[in-house]
Amino acid sequence: MKRKEFLGRLIGELTNFMLENNPLRLVISLHQEDDGAHISFFDDQPRSEKELEQIRASLNPKTQRPELAQYYGQMAGNDMAWGARLKLIGWQIKHASVSNSDSGLQIDLWLGSDAFNPENFTLDGKI
Amino acid sequence: MERTEKSLYTIMLIFIIGLAVMGLALDGPTQTLKGFLHLQVRGARLINDFTQAGAGSAMFNAALVGLIGLIIVFFATISLSGPTIAAIFTMVGFGFFGKTPLNALPIIGGVWIAARLAHKTLGSYSLIALFGTALGPVVTFIMFEMGLPLSLSIPLGLFSGLVAGFILPGVARSMLQLHQGYNLYNTGFSCGFIGLFLSGLLIASNKMEPITIIWNTANESALVLFIPILSLFLILSALIIDGFSHIRETIQALFKLQNLSGRLPTDLFDAGTAGSALINMALLGLVSSLYVALVKAPFNGPVIGGILTVMGFGGFGKTLKNIWPVVAGVVLATLVFGKQLSDPGPILAALFCTTLAPIAGQFGIVAGIVAGFIHLFMVETTAVWHGGLDLYNNGFAGGLTASLIMAMLQWYKTNRPKEDFQV
Repeated sequence: MKRKEFLGRLIGELTNFMLENNPLRLVISLHQEDDGAHISFFDDQPRSEKELEQIRASLNPKTQRPELAQYYGQMAGNDMAWGARLKLIGWQIKHASVSNSDSGLQIDLWLGSDAFNPENFTLDGKI
Repeated sequence: MERTEKSLYTIMLIFIIGLAVMGLALDGPTQTLKGFLHLQVRGARLINDFTQAGAGSAMFNAALVGLIGLIIVFFATISLSGPTIAAIFTMVGFGFFGKTPLNALPIIGGVWIAARLAHKTLGSYSLIALFGTALGPVVTFIMFEMGLPLSLSIPLGLFSGLVAGFILPGVARSMLQLHQGYNLYNTGFSCGFIGLFLSGLLIASNKMEPITIIWNTANESALVLFIPILSLFLILSALIIDGFSHIRETIQALFKLQNLSGRLPTDLFDAGTAGSALINMALLGLVSSLYVALVKAPFNGPVIGGILTVMGFGGFGKTLKNIWPVVAGVVLATLVFGKQLSDPGPILAALFCTTLAPIAGQFGIVAGIVAGFIHLFMVETTAVWHGGLDLYNNGFAGGLTASLIMAMLQWYKTNRPKEDFQV
């Protein structure tokens, strides 16, 4: 239940973010293992390098903020009426990679326990 | 620990130790300690101005309450930044009218037990633990106001504090969903919700006493000067942290902060520079003091507590730009309903209504004024509901106001035809 809620919140918030650009196509791919998960988001809206850097910075905060993640992280994915807040996601995940794919924006989220190693995943081989 | 965080620890320690020393110097060590002990063994429900028992004792008590907060942040190994500084300033502020080390610690203990059961660290729940001390009056009410023998009331008070703290994390996280982060004092909203049930229980068992207001009207010069001196200290600290040669960047960052909505969780120390956030806090303190002086309200415990809370949240969501419309709404409501701006209710509402600053920050001046207007008449009602057991009564009223406004705005936003699929 905990894992389902957590994944649902993260997917909801990031979906909210990607839908703000009104894409014609949005693909979400989830791969779960015992100690972690990998979620990929693709759309058909390429972003500028500046936008990519801003997204990267929001999803990969410089410091861990457990006090904010545990308390305010609950708001992630709960409110689709207003602008998405990527920092709510960034505090709760292990790592995020952000780039422009062939068609548009691609965001990969890596999440899991402390033992989780994102190096064990390769997106191409898993989806 | 980074250099900036070390500097922030130094600033907080100077602030807390300075306050304690000022307290001891003001009333003399013996009288201060006597007064401090007296504050521990009396009721602390709203509105209980501790400066009535001596400004020095109140200052010393506030400093110790703040020190507890700082120690928890240090040992929980979480960042001393916007949210935690807001929590510590709020604790110090309410140390002037309701919080004591005795009534704060059981609540923190309860949150710690909840964290252990959820397999989390206290650090993860630290903000709830620190802000949750708003329920401290529950402990002292049961210990010293219910008329029970001390052998029974003390363990019962401690146990009640633990229980209140234990249920707080669950409630606090749920209450966030109601207002979506537009009420900065979310823990106050949650404590008020819990307070409703506790008050109901006490009323059912004929143990609830009506609320009384202890309000010191003497303007002691130490209390009048306290906030301006603290604000100047913060400005000086800001310039040292950011570097005197970077004043231009600090000012630019300060202007950038003014454009943020302030919606939870906005850490202004992260969004700008540490110096710009400290100057923002200082400016809020100076402006608040000016307002209190202009309306000729006394600089007593609750008012100082209110200003310190505004200043603390100057690192966690409040800016000069997003607070003024809400304060204007409270002032307008005060005048419309024929009240005095310097009366206890309106002056505290004018300071604490800034909990709704994110509404003005996100939706504009009119929304902020409307929120402030509603807040005034709500806050004068809600204290009775929870019997003054929730010290953050404005957080409770603010939560209700924000929830109402957000429900309406959300309904409007989600029903706009132009965002629907075309027929």
